[in-house]
Amino acid sequence: MEQFAVKPIVPLHIGHYDVSFTNQSLWMCIVVGAVSLFMALAVRQRSVVPGRVQSMAEISYEFVATMIGTAAGEDGLVFFPFVFTLFMFVLFSNFLGLLPGAYTVTSQICVTFGLAAFVIAMVIVTGFIKHGIGFLKLFVPHAPWYILWLLVPIEFISFATRPISLSVRLFANMLAGHTLLKVFASFVILLGGAGGVLSLLSVAPFFLIVAITALELLVAALQAYVFAILTCIYLNEALHLHGHH
Amino acid sequence: MTAPKREDLQSLGERLDAAEKRNQVPRPSPAASTMGIAFRFTTELVSALLVGGGIGYGIDWAFDRWTHVHTRPWGMIAMFVLGAAAGILNVIRAANEINAEMAKKDGD
Repeated sequence: MEQFAVKPIVPLHIGHYDVSFTNQSLWMCIVVGAVSLFMALAVRQRSVVPGRVQSMAEISYEFVATMIGTAAGEDGLVFFPFVFTLFMFVLFSNFLGLLPGAYTVTSQICVTFGLAAFVIAMVIVTGFIKHGIGFLKLFVPHAPWYILWLLVPIEFISFATRPISLSVRLFANMLAGHTLLKVFASFVILLGGAGGVLSLLSVAPFFLIVAITALELLVAALQAYVFAILTCIYLNEALHLHGHH
Repeated sequence: MTAPKREDLQSLGERLDAAEKRNQVPRPSPAASTMGIAFRFTTELVSALLVGGGIGYGIDWAFDRWTHVHTRPWGMIAMFVLGAAAGILNVIRAANEINAEMAKKDGD
């Protein structure tokens, strides 16, 4: 799985810590650069009737704004810059990772967990700022007192699960998709080199790769969407403290 | 070119809305991807088990380290079971979310 290997480009050590600039860091910079370039180019014209790039930017803007509005309510829109940045970052790293030879930043658990942990930290901070200690009511469902002692730990574990399920979902989807592509690509080479009838068979996995690449495009967009909408749902809970029933 | 008049823009907006309504293509709902749903449930369940087991392991370790009470492996077993309950709770909630989303999509 050479495509997932992290290689240092500029080795750097601070104390005992390895803080080298790796291919991972390079691709994160590329992703951030690509998003910035896209948005900057898109709004350069500022035309009333948008061109192609501008309407792409406007569609993504409206898409995220509607998503926050429906999932987190109108007052959730203060988080628009954050959710939009998150969405675009994940979307672009998923898409750019599909280019041959590219490195998929989101196929590393440390990246996705970093994002997810930040989201959850923000949810907790928002909740405590907005509701004070009353935010802890999130862990107390409406139930008779004699089963609460069992339900509160369950609710707590359920909450603690979030950063993990959020990050594992994105990371595993990316990892599985890229591994699948690689496995089928190796079938093409193995069958092609086998000679005779088997060489002819190598066309089959080749067409499968084309199909899987299309599927991966869908997965890339879908996972960015899922990541963003779950962020909105969690923010909604922090903002409005909807008790579970 | 003169600046566009307000009424012009408004009528353009109305015409755009009408055209949008006429040509509405049913977009595939993101939640409708069956594999996506299956994957969502799996991660919810498995991560709850991991978190539950992890907390239990931590409790056992803490008791071992700082007290003379030996709870191992009961803390881990108890928290693992609670983790399973939390995982099922997560799956039910995820299913409710997806159902609500689909009902909303069917509604409009």
